[in-house]
Amino acid sequence: MAARAIWKGSLVLGEHEVPVKMYSAVQDRAVHFHLLHDKDLSPVEQRIVRKDNGHEVPKEQQRKAFPLDDQRAVILEPDELARLAPESDRAIRLLRFVPRDALGNQWFDRPYYLGPDEKGDVDYFALADALGGKERIGIARWVMRDKRYVGALAVGDDGYLRMTTLRRSEQVLDVPAIHPDKARTPSAAEVKLAEQLVDSITGPFTPEEWHNDHRERLHQLIEAKAKGTKLTLVTAKPKEATSDLTESLRASLAQARSGAAAKGKKVA
Amino acid sequence: MPEHRRRPSSSTSDAASDAASGATLVRSFWSGTITFGLVSIPVDLFAAVVPRQKSMKLVDEEGHPLGRRYWCPKHEKVLDDDELVRGYETDSGKVIVVTDEEFASVAPEKSRDIELKRFVAVDDIPPFFFDRPYFLAPDERAGKAYALLAETMARTGKAGIGSFVMRDHEYLVAIVAEQGMLRAEVLRYADELRTPEQVGLPKAEKGDAARVRAFAKEIDALAEAKIDPAELADLEAETLRTAAEQKANSGKGVVSMAELEGDEDDAATSAQVIDLMQVLRESLGARAGKGTSSAAPEAPSPARKSAAKKTASPKAPPAKKTAKKTKRAAE
Repeated sequence: MAARAIWKGSLVLGEHEVPVKMYSAVQDRAVHFHLLHDKDLSPVEQRIVRKDNGHEVPKEQQRKAFPLDDQRAVILEPDELARLAPESDRAIRLLRFVPRDALGNQWFDRPYYLGPDEKGDVDYFALADALGGKERIGIARWVMRDKRYVGALAVGDDGYLRMTTLRRSEQVLDVPAIHPDKARTPSAAEVKLAEQLVDSITGPFTPEEWHNDHRERLHQLIEAKAKGTKLTLVTAKPKEATSDLTESLRASLAQARSGAAAKGKKVA
Repeated sequence: MPEHRRRPSSSTSDAASDAASGATLVRSFWSGTITFGLVSIPVDLFAAVVPRQKSMKLVDEEGHPLGRRYWCPKHEKVLDDDELVRGYETDSGKVIVVTDEEFASVAPEKSRDIELKRFVAVDDIPPFFFDRPYFLAPDERAGKAYALLAETMARTGKAGIGSFVMRDHEYLVAIVAEQGMLRAEVLRYADELRTPEQVGLPKAEKGDAARVRAFAKEIDALAEAKIDPAELADLEAETLRTAAEQKANSGKGVVSMAELEGDEDDAATSAQVIDLMQVLRESLGARAGKGTSSAAPEAPSPARKSAAKKTASPKAPPAKKTAKKTKRAAE
């Protein structure tokens, strides 16, 4: 049942080293399909081919070319790439600790749990407690399986350390502040009404109440087809969902609507 | 996050039909309507993050561009998209084909709308949930409603939660505002995240007080007010670029990019570049300005202040380049 650690390393801050195990916090719930040839449903493979003539190119003849500019790219041979691989020393180096809101959510990429290594659990929980008292996140760099990572170290309410890998600065698009012109700037009264409407359907973030209906219905559809149930597309269409969540959301929204109907029209 | 292998060109068809509706000049890979209460805001969705710059082109030893093709070993032939179907293998080994029509019928009502059913404090959403950000730009006629939602989210520090279907997948999103723009942050579903119990972490203990103090001291020693963008730079891309430039100077291994371009794989997955600011000018009559917003009809609220603080955090250093052009990159 327990997940397998994907990597072992040590958090390094100042003179301290805290050995940790890293675990993926994400589990795949996807519905996976095979691509098939429509003729007789035989399985399809992917092949790497030359684009100009369609000839297959085996793995050992494939190369990677780094684009220099719009005109040129340079082929880097496997041995040249191997020489560029960063040295791995299992150190997760803490570079700085910043206030939590110093990083926008768009930076967060993949989440991992850090768990104590057998010999290091005393330091692990001490570090978690220390970080928990600071309202800060740690920015860390490490090398894992020949790749460099940047991550944000945080502690959850449950007392465990987490590392979320971060996107690189070149990946996150920056936009200047936007100011709509006069005609499209909402009035103070409109903003007030909108705030009331938003307030009326505000609640806690309760992720377990949100279900991936699409995925669940897809499973149902596959099950039905597997049983040989004749499907018409109408039956595959969603019925009004009857879970308590939907009912309660509908009800609260209806309430908000009845209160805000007249106002809503004005601002729409 | 793709739940199944997608056919190479299926992603372009939606965008084309969206553009054909004529409402906006810009093609995006998803167009739909955000609703909250009775307010509806037609929007286009654009990727807010771009792939890493270290991405390299696949070529053969002589530099001929390579691509992926679907191959049927049984019939020994390359297959076109329309010769492919998706099959699900059940536990008993039976293969169930799911047609495009069946896929589309799974949740038709959600493919056009994001209904914000609940609003939550942005800070209530743990970082683990954030998966992928998208920019939202309003349809030309929706500028005011869009500005209203952005203003409301900024003032209250809230996010609107809803879900929608894009290209055969359902996404949970939090609609948040930053600097007058709305972003759709795709969230993970709760069942896609493990709990510490599921991972099998040992029971949490209280840290030894002396050690906690020692670590607190180390944290304080490394405390800074802001992020250093250099620490978030892509060292891998830099290393590759340096090596590539050195090699190019020696004249070895250089191939023409013109040859590498115009390949249909790229056309299908990354599509064309749009000018996001142009879209916003048209729909909002917007001026791009610095941190302070003149859109606020009243005094800035604390939530707005924290948004402004975020603005101060450095983002992409080549800001001009990135702000002007948003690559409509597929996932």
